Amino acid sequence: MHILLTALSLILIGGILPLLMHRWFRLSKIVHITTVTAGCLTGLYGLYAVWQQQAEALFSCSWLHVFTLAFALDSLSMFFLLPVFLVSPLIALYGYHYLDKPTASWRVAVNNFFFSLLIVSMALVTVAANIMTFALAWELMSLSSYFLVMFDFEKEETQRAGYLYLLFTQTGALCIFAAFAVISSHTGSLSFAHIEQLPHGVKLVAFFLAFVGFGSKAGVFPFHIWLPHAHPAAPSHVSALLSGVMIKMGIYGILRIYILLDDPSPIIPQTVLICGMLSGVLGVIYALGKQDIKRLLAYSSIENIGIILIGAGLGMLGISSGNRIMAAFGFAGCLLHVLNHALFKSLLFMGSGAVLHTTGTRHIDQLGGLMKNMPVTGRTFLAGSVAISGLPPLNGFISEFLIYYAGFQGLGLHGAAFLFSMSTIIALAVIGGLASGCFTKVIGVVFLGEPRSVRAQKAVECGRAMQAAMILLALPCLLIGIWPEPFIRLVFASLHDMSPLATISPEILGTIPQNLAMAARLFLGLLFVTIILRRLLYRAKPISQSSTWGCGFTQPTARMQYTGTSYALSMVNFHRPFVRVRTQYSGITKIFPRWAGYASKVEDIAEIGLHRMLIQPLIWVLDRLRWIQHGHIQLYISYIIVTIAVLLLVV
Amino acid sequence: MESIIALGIALISAPLFPGIILKIKALFAGKKGPPLLIKYYTLAKLLRKGSVYSTSTTFVFRMGPIVSCAAAVMVFLFFPFAGIPPLLSFHGDAVVLFYILGIGRFFTMAAALDTASPFEGMGAAREAFFATLSEAAVFVVLILFYRMNGSLSLAAYFSGPHAISLAGPQGALLLLVIVSLFMTLLAENSRVPVDDPATHLELTMIHEVMILDHSGPDLALIELGSFYKLFFYAAFIACLISSPIQAGPFANTLLFYSLLTAVYVAIGITESITARLKMNLVPKYILTSFALSFFAIILTMEIF
Repeated sequence: MHILLTALSLILIGGILPLLMHRWFRLSKIVHITTVTAGCLTGLYGLYAVWQQQAEALFSCSWLHVFTLAFALDSLSMFFLLPVFLVSPLIALYGYHYLDKPTASWRVAVNNFFFSLLIVSMALVTVAANIMTFALAWELMSLSSYFLVMFDFEKEETQRAGYLYLLFTQTGALCIFAAFAVISSHTGSLSFAHIEQLPHGVKLVAFFLAFVGFGSKAGVFPFHIWLPHAHPAAPSHVSALLSGVMIKMGIYGILRIYILLDDPSPIIPQTVLICGMLSGVLGVIYALGKQDIKRLLAYSSIENIGIILIGAGLGMLGISSGNRIMAAFGFAGCLLHVLNHALFKSLLFMGSGAVLHTTGTRHIDQLGGLMKNMPVTGRTFLAGSVAISGLPPLNGFISEFLIYYAGFQGLGLHGAAFLFSMSTIIALAVIGGLASGCFTKVIGVVFLGEPRSVRAQKAVECGRAMQAAMILLALPCLLIGIWPEPFIRLVFASLHDMSPLATISPEILGTIPQNLAMAARLFLGLLFVTIILRRLLYRAKPISQSSTWGCGFTQPTARMQYTGTSYALSMVNFHRPFVRVRTQYSGITKIFPRWAGYASKVEDIAEIGLHRMLIQPLIWVLDRLRWIQHGHIQLYISYIIVTIAVLLLVV
Repeated sequence: MESIIALGIALISAPLFPGIILKIKALFAGKKGPPLLIKYYTLAKLLRKGSVYSTSTTFVFRMGPIVSCAAAVMVFLFFPFAGIPPLLSFHGDAVVLFYILGIGRFFTMAAALDTASPFEGMGAAREAFFATLSEAAVFVVLILFYRMNGSLSLAAYFSGPHAISLAGPQGALLLLVIVSLFMTLLAENSRVPVDDPATHLELTMIHEVMILDHSGPDLALIELGSFYKLFFYAAFIACLISSPIQAGPFANTLLFYSLLTAVYVAIGITESITARLKMNLVPKYILTSFALSFFAIILTMEIF
């Protein structure tokens, strides 16, 4: 634990130093990256030491003489620390070339400071071992991420997104603290101990309050509204950190509160599964409908959070119905997908950042043909796309397979549990199909074909640091895909300290990891054989270059290409009641039409619903209460007196 | 050894069967039709040729045929032709294989978008949409099979003592599944009524339009991949109709290939007597197939 705390202070120093030396722009960035990397490596070493039981896993100190700050490392928090320590230094490295405006050196330094602070606070959230510590770390995480989102604070879009984020994160925190208040009013202490002895009803109230709070951080439908606004507004490396790592803290919170409550009632897994399926399917449909590449990736994060929740829900269902194999595979798939998503989503946000950096646009339909000018970004983005679509032989498939496995195990159950297992399998299949549609759209429209605008034509490859970061993220995606055994064993070992699963032995895994590895390697082998075969077939054959066959049309232009919007439209339209597609078409009126316009926009029903159900009534009510605010100071004073009098009488 | 021979026969004979479909269609049209071995001639012709690549394309375009062909071959390694145990098999391989077919499709669509042709983009969009629906339909069938014999691998479905077949204890349910799978087969392999492999207008195509720009050995790889995919689906149905009998592998192989021929004949007849669906009716068509197997699952809820 002491090693870990040293690591965290190192990371924090890595944030403070750039503030002091921001005048030397380049140096301050280098110092930031090296210190943060050193801190993260120390942290990984600390995890290893605790894992091997060579180091103490507990630490506590008193704060303000009233509260105790307690930290503890168990297998679950260690697993969630992995993406924090693995992905953060790569994102910092990426930031070296991404934030390259020496004129804004102070802003970059502040950004680096909050970047470090966010890493530290995320680590503290995972190791917090009592309510006070957790709440402090959680708030620190929310606030530092808010400042990261506000990097371009003078833009109106950013201000709105930042405000929305702050609103959601604070409302979420309110729910979480309410859950904690419910718990501690029954246990009478601020510690995490003895929570499992609470009465059943209290447990449910606490869980659902916490679920709303953590869900809004994780981006669970319908609490996800901040996510697609905050990600496009933030700089890309910040989006990578938020989407890749930070929203997983919401998942950590849900798992942690579930373990602490240890309640076997089936309503909890059922709620989690319904939310998971909703987030998964709707997330990917909205992702398909979006034209802004970063907003698309944000919705795809919601989809992946859905997959993670489906895994967690199947695990919980396994526990409540006594099927341990299903429980183990569900939770294992959930955890592995947390790690996988951290890898490929950071990679994809970095790729979109590289595109944004060189072309200055996030609009998919204005890009195209970037693969030729940006080979590294294009290839790593392709790897990330295949991985996020959950296709073998990359890592996304491994975690989805574990979740499928849990789902199929659940088919042996009866009644509602069977129906839920069945619908998760169908939901996963639909999500998988739509996700590959969504990412062929991104790859095909942004990176393949011909450039649709001058800006896309003039694109250049991004800086070395950015390339290195993307390659370093793409490699583990492939590694986990073709060598999954150690990683699957790692997630099963991480389940060890989850009290309901303590007796799970790795034996139930059987030969599944080896079989998955075999299938992935076999497929790669077949690919190589086919490539060699193709080489042989093309020996001494005439190969020539020409333009694309235009089906008889001789004057093709780049603007005739299929756009991302039309690519996705039929898929989006199919899910009509859950998605609102708003189209504006001017129509053709005269015999010789001059100007016509067509615009379509996919709208989020949760956003519309929130606006209609909550905000408009709220504004209406508050409007009616406006007479309270009349501007007479003596009446304001009388309000205070009345309030005090009432409080004295009642309390 | 038996497994290798069975695999070899399947790999070599797969291009023969689409010829049967053509023959049947010609018969219905009152024509003589192309020779049965037409697809072998086509492959040989393509393999002799060189290729023209569009200047718009990148390496992804060349990856398309490779990945889709390798994916289809991969499925063959796991399939128990005529009830003979396949080369490889493990619990869960059915999920892996449908996802492997998924990556083949991913690269076919990416390669189509790589050509910058509006037609190919249109084809890719349709493929992405319809594939999502038929994937759901296929997984419903996997759920049903898991309910029936608790396995998740192709080998365990169709070989061994608990093989799933019409003659088995829950055979009646399989009637629904066979119809549903046959509909999925037509949709997934771009046959009439979903797609018409013989049409001449690019605007109405799905699969053919995605491979417009491929030529020579690349096109041969794609064609081979699609023969294998069709063979896989047809074999799936053939295995459902009859389980292996106790008469040795030779008789089983004979039985399997005659049933397989029957499935191809059925495809040919369907193509001859039905018209193509309008594009906006295709989702309903695939969802019908989904609903049929879903109904079969609901029926199992009472049985087990």
